[in-house]
Amino acid sequence: MTPKLKVALAVAVTCALASLPWLASATILQFSISTLLLATLAQGWNIIGGYTGYASFGNSVFFGLGSYGTAIAMVQWHLPFGVGLVFGAVLAVVFALVLGIPVLRLRGHYFAIATLALSQVMTAIVSNLEIAGRNTGLVLPLLNGDPLFYELSLALLVLATLTVFWIAHSRFGFGLIAIRENEDAAASMGINTTLYKVLAFAISGIFSALAGGIHAYWITFIDPVSAFDLSLNVKMIIMTVFGGPASILGPVVGAFVLSGISEILSSAISSVASLFFGAVIIVAVVFMPRGLADVLRRFRKTGWRYFSENVKKYRL
Amino acid sequence: MSTPLLEIRGLSKRFGGLVAVDDVNFCIAPGETLGLIGPNGAGKTTLINLISGSVTPTTGEILFEGRSITSASAFRRARQGIGRTFQIMKPFPGLSVLDNVAVGALFGTSTTAKALRVAREEAREWLELMDLSRHADQRADELGGPDRKRLELAKAIAMKPKLLLLDEVMAGLNHVEIDDVIEAIRKVRSTGISVLVIEHVIKAVQSLADRLLVLHHGKQIIEGAPDAVLADPRVIEAYLGRRRA
Repeated sequence: MTPKLKVALAVAVTCALASLPWLASATILQFSISTLLLATLAQGWNIIGGYTGYASFGNSVFFGLGSYGTAIAMVQWHLPFGVGLVFGAVLAVVFALVLGIPVLRLRGHYFAIATLALSQVMTAIVSNLEIAGRNTGLVLPLLNGDPLFYELSLALLVLATLTVFWIAHSRFGFGLIAIRENEDAAASMGINTTLYKVLAFAISGIFSALAGGIHAYWITFIDPVSAFDLSLNVKMIIMTVFGGPASILGPVVGAFVLSGISEILSSAISSVASLFFGAVIIVAVVFMPRGLADVLRRFRKTGWRYFSENVKKYRL
Repeated sequence: MSTPLLEIRGLSKRFGGLVAVDDVNFCIAPGETLGLIGPNGAGKTTLINLISGSVTPTTGEILFEGRSITSASAFRRARQGIGRTFQIMKPFPGLSVLDNVAVGALFGTSTTAKALRVAREEAREWLELMDLSRHADQRADELGGPDRKRLELAKAIAMKPKLLLLDEVMAGLNHVEIDDVIEAIRKVRSTGISVLVIEHVIKAVQSLADRLLVLHHGKQIIEGAPDAVLADPRVIEAYLGRRRA
């Protein structure tokens, strides 16, 4: 495909997605909003986890900060929604800078564990803040406008994807990839690794926070446990890895496919749905550990051998 | 005499009770190649780590182009023009050979943000020079031994450094491959940059270095012209023990 054709296709798909509120039922629209938000979260995780290679469990903290930032601004200070979103994003950036600098010094599992702890700590802190409504949480003003939330979520996903596109084609992104591949070598070649990692963490955080803000206003109620829910972070990782980490559309496709599967399973066979979901993930990890994006890239060349080669290569 | 490119003054590094580098002093002039030899555990790699900034010295000073870089971080030194290779090679395994080198062209000493396309074009030229062009699109972890060494060199020179630190690039190569890599280093040197080369292969240092510096137990025991240094009884003693000397 020529670049022009690709752009045309992307615009066409976006326009088609944007017209959904006029075509779909209320249930499908609701499912679509949460899918778009999940895709945005996965795309945000892709920046720090996929490109930079830092498996962050702190992205659910960014989501929670975005939710609470928006809720506090709207409920306590009676500010408009837009200002709330910005406030949430600012909180996420501050968090990324203040905690990213020490935590990003850790590598591999240690980084994952440290960020894991952060989300637990944040739940405890927020549960004790008067301004955040302590344990009971906050109730946001009601806005009946699913089409609006849908378009907002879509716009945010497009923005996140464009950002990842820029990263994939920029000097900055090349630096992030070098850090992922070998951090010592990256530093010895003149890359300011600390700055790059913190920036990647912050950009990743901004998208999670914005998604959190939209989500909070949409569901109109937040509490500490659900806002800083770790399983949301796990979903981001699964969707990104399923779709293809460090690819531009992988996390989006991963989020769409897995949300779809999980929705169908839970309505068809509700009790064992999560069991099937687990099976899907195991199969994906065994046969396509580098994600859907890699399957699409290499399947044409290698055919069905692609899957057996993966099993051999990663000794599963 | 003009200012040396690199000046090391009273440099020491202590790891707990072990003094890895003990009061080392030397200079490297622009365009000069200094060979650094010594038995295993003499502190050679620590010295390179001190100069490249991955380790900070306990005492002493490092001057680069007359300015102190003693407390500068590794990436700043790389930007000022100190490139290095690693004894245990550190390629970017998942990237193509071309992109490995493009990282050097994109960052390194280049001050202007250039486009990825330009960096890849530059990288192609370095691959050409290092005789790696046919591997350009392969993943770096698919390369064999000698090609990996060449890649490590190509990555470092793509940074356009003024000083190149080579940490045992010959290790594990056979005689033919060593000659190949010596040739590659000659090409690098002919671009006018200074080189500090650590090597166990005496043939290699002898044919490359303008001067030799010998480290033993962290101390510099002699410095001078290669042939004179290699004939010195202290050097023979350090390598072979007292009785042989």
